[in-house]
Amino acid sequence: MTDQISNIAEKREMTINMGPQHPSTHGVLRLELDLDGEVIKNTRPNIGYLHRCFEKYAEEMDDYSKVIPYTDRMDYVSAMNQEHGYVIAVERMLEIEVPERVEYIRVIMAEMQRIASHLLGIGAFGLDLGAFTPFLYCFIEREKILDIFEKTSGARLLYNYYAIGGMIKDVHPDFKKDTNEFVKTFRPKIKELNDLLSGNKIFIKRTANIGVLPEKVALNYGASGPVLRGSGVEWDLRKNDPYSIYDRFDFEIPIGKGEMGTLGDCWDRYIVRVREMEQSLRIIEQALEGMPDEGDVTEGIPKRIRPKEGELYARSETPRGELGYYIISDKSASPFRVKARAPSFVHLGLLPAISKGALIADMVAIVGSIDIVLGEVDR
Amino acid sequence: MLYVFKEGWSTFKSIFTGMGVTIRHFFSPSVTEKYPYEKIELPKGARAKLHVNIDDCIGCNLCARACPVNCIDIETVKATDDVDLGKTSTGNPKRFWLTRFDIDMAKCMYCDLCVHPCPTNCIYMVPEYEYSEVDRSNLVYHFSNLKPEMVAEVKEKAEQEAEQKKRERQEMMRKKAEAAKKKKEEQEKKQAEAKKSSNKNDNDKPSTPGKKDS
Repeated sequence: MTDQISNIAEKREMTINMGPQHPSTHGVLRLELDLDGEVIKNTRPNIGYLHRCFEKYAEEMDDYSKVIPYTDRMDYVSAMNQEHGYVIAVERMLEIEVPERVEYIRVIMAEMQRIASHLLGIGAFGLDLGAFTPFLYCFIEREKILDIFEKTSGARLLYNYYAIGGMIKDVHPDFKKDTNEFVKTFRPKIKELNDLLSGNKIFIKRTANIGVLPEKVALNYGASGPVLRGSGVEWDLRKNDPYSIYDRFDFEIPIGKGEMGTLGDCWDRYIVRVREMEQSLRIIEQALEGMPDEGDVTEGIPKRIRPKEGELYARSETPRGELGYYIISDKSASPFRVKARAPSFVHLGLLPAISKGALIADMVAIVGSIDIVLGEVDR
Repeated sequence: MLYVFKEGWSTFKSIFTGMGVTIRHFFSPSVTEKYPYEKIELPKGARAKLHVNIDDCIGCNLCARACPVNCIDIETVKATDDVDLGKTSTGNPKRFWLTRFDIDMAKCMYCDLCVHPCPTNCIYMVPEYEYSEVDRSNLVYHFSNLKPEMVAEVKEKAEQEAEQKKRERQEMMRKKAEAAKKKKEEQEKKQAEAKKSSNKNDNDKPSTPGKKDS
């Protein structure tokens, strides 16, 4: 016993578990950390605590549309975006056109969901680092978005609102008014958030120069979304590979510039999310203006969904990055295989690369800054 | 030295900017809802609990088939000819006794997929959310309004009718078969006679191919 203690004291090396119940790990994630004193030498993420066999379930369903509620449960923080990705994949397989009004509703919903997801991500990131106030202020705003969603789809978190070829039902009559009001009230709140968190010296001290992800490493690991853009790569599927009607809108891709420290640190990833919310507001405003008032959103839903034999990979930009669905059809009513390429899973793989040499207290900041959702990692 | 002052000043400034925000929030109206005492009304289409208007149900089983988690369990018995179950409020004739219509709300995932295929709009979500239970079996809601004796009676009746119908059908089949047999026999007789007569008429001629077939 004494030998062991003296051994540890001499070597100063030990392995500790962070999680699965650690409140700062955004779900049930276990990190095995090899430490030298306080410095992390190696990180091994252990996943699978939230595995629900999404892909296997999708094969078991006897209808393509029955998979949609399960895609909600992959990334429960941005369910609308998950549905959007799946729906466009199946629509491309069926080769059907979607009515104009449906496309506009989809884009507005997806962008609202992006704001809601980023608000939660930013709020929880602040909470990890000890800033409790912004978390609650973010939730006030998020609540407003969820209220609009609830009025329209009936659910607050897992909407099942997108349907193949249309929407489950039309938007609430107050939808346009509510959304316009939200956009108006939300703009000043971003400034408030910047005052409260982005410019806060304590926050900057804890995030700048920490968890630096160089551009090359990010590209090699297949990172996408705000994590890749935080490293200074201008890559956004809404611009680079436009799906739906994103090519009609005028918006910018915010990228990290290393303003507070090194390019690709935690603060850069954080600020990309904040700036993305502004861009999402711009898209929502343009979409609200262009949205046709008339049109049946349910008329395009096909009665029988039987895609041709073949396979397809469709990708879309979720708040976390590139979400891809790889679907194989064997002409029957149920998909032969549905593979989801979840961005959180890829980003979790980045963790060992960017946490090497960091202090154990900074691990929380790094995990928070890549903004993973474990439902999507484990599926 | 200058660096320390600069850092100190920016820290001081940033913290007090944040404080200003919180103070502004402090004087703005509160957004908290004191839940058990104050309840917000859910919007009209809120998905909180499944409800079935059993009087309108025609037992078509479409909702059960649409459910991804199989939480709807329906058992129907065909109504006998002497009973008229009437029509639903939408005008669809009812042909089945609903001996069982159970929804397991513990399994339900509130996806709303069962609501859309219903031809009579009798299954829908209601904004009622306070129905937690200590025992999970209490979350199985029984919507069928038939009493157990009634269910047994209905089933027996249906079985009897089915049996009777089966017997009738068998009888009919038998009769049909008999009739067919008779007809065939008669035909054969006729043919035999015709053959005989033709044979008598011209003995040396071989029978025609058409006759061979018959």
